[in-house]
Amino acid sequence: MANGKAVKDIMIDVFEFPHIPYWFSLRQAMGIIKKSVLESTKCVRPIVILVFDEKYNLVGTLTQVNILKGMEPQFLKPTTKAQMPEDSLEGLSVLWDSLFSKESAALAEKPVSEIMIPARLFVEQNDPITKAAYLMLHNDLVLLPVLEGKKKLIGVVRMIEVFDEVSNAILNG
Amino acid sequence: MTLIDRDNHQKLYLQLYAILRNKIDSGEWAVDSQMPTEEELCKTYEISKATVRIAIAELARQGYLSRRQGKGTFVCKRVIPEGLAMFTSFKELMLEAGINFTTKVLAQTVIMPIDDLDIKLDIAENKHIIYIKRLRLIDNEPILLQETYMPHNICPLPLLEDLESNSLLEVLEQKCSVKITSVQDYIGIAYLNEEEGRLLGLPEGSAALLLEQFFYSGKNKILYTRSIKRPDRFKFFIELERKQ
Repeated sequence: MANGKAVKDIMIDVFEFPHIPYWFSLRQAMGIIKKSVLESTKCVRPIVILVFDEKYNLVGTLTQVNILKGMEPQFLKPTTKAQMPEDSLEGLSVLWDSLFSKESAALAEKPVSEIMIPARLFVEQNDPITKAAYLMLHNDLVLLPVLEGKKKLIGVVRMIEVFDEVSNAILNG
Repeated sequence: MTLIDRDNHQKLYLQLYAILRNKIDSGEWAVDSQMPTEEELCKTYEISKATVRIAIAELARQGYLSRRQGKGTFVCKRVIPEGLAMFTSFKELMLEAGINFTTKVLAQTVIMPIDDLDIKLDIAENKHIIYIKRLRLIDNEPILLQETYMPHNICPLPLLEDLESNSLLEVLEQKCSVKITSVQDYIGIAYLNEEEGRLLGLPEGSAALLLEQFFYSGKNKILYTRSIKRPDRFKFFIELERKQ
């Protein structure tokens, strides 16, 4: 598949993505993600922020969805046991409107470490693209960090490029 | 006991300074102990009062002694006098003062500009910054908390170097070939937040000395450093010289 291409062939340099430490707040992450979306032509959506620890180890990733979920008022979050019936969604949107500016402003001060997706899965730069595709599909991920020598973070491989490679292989036979 | 050597070409006050400093450094005169009076020193070392006064004044200037009104002169915890000259690195300052220190690196990572960091470093809002946070200690006592911000595109090496043993400015000059040509210092007061207080061993809300420094290489800003110093361990001095 994908003409035997490796992860390094579709990898994007790690410095194309915003970096933050885990102690930054959601508010700070929002500001950074907005600047990156508006000002960078290199970062194509879905934009992701990489979250690091004190020693520049990648500890997680953060998307716009993660940030918004982190600011959702706690009691509005559906649980598996008590799903909101569909006919109540209209009322819910009113509640959401009134609460979003109040409670969410406070929630925006919590650190990103509380809502980021922990980085547990990695690929090496010489791994086949199929391995990246497999890990993404089976773990519901939009990107994977790429390591060199099992240690140094050098880049990121995204679903967009993986999809391109797979679809090219299929469409072009 | 070491005495003044009148055959020595070195000035008498310098000899006395060295003798007294040795007594403090060796612990013979402990912190908070009272110094002999000027008269006693004159008698012991057979020198004039003027010579004694100059030596004591120099020890006081360097933070070894403090004078207490009506009580005398006491050995004190070393206060580091920081001249507003081109002392660019903490290591340089400590070596000049003859002080042994240790550095604990609390963070050495990459961040994006927040607050007004982009303005402070003259960079675009979406540029990566190397962030280094260090705690400096003397005799295991924290005295200085230092946060340094540097545009990543200048040189990535400070991210990888051992900054507990090496000076960041030495790394910049020797390994990155970035020469610091000027430094702008801004001195003020900071009120410690909870974390800063915990790290420096002071209560939250305490006042501390704040030194903000902008390092330039030519016209380019290379570094921005924010140092919070324990007020009981540092003092700044300015030496002015009249133009001839």
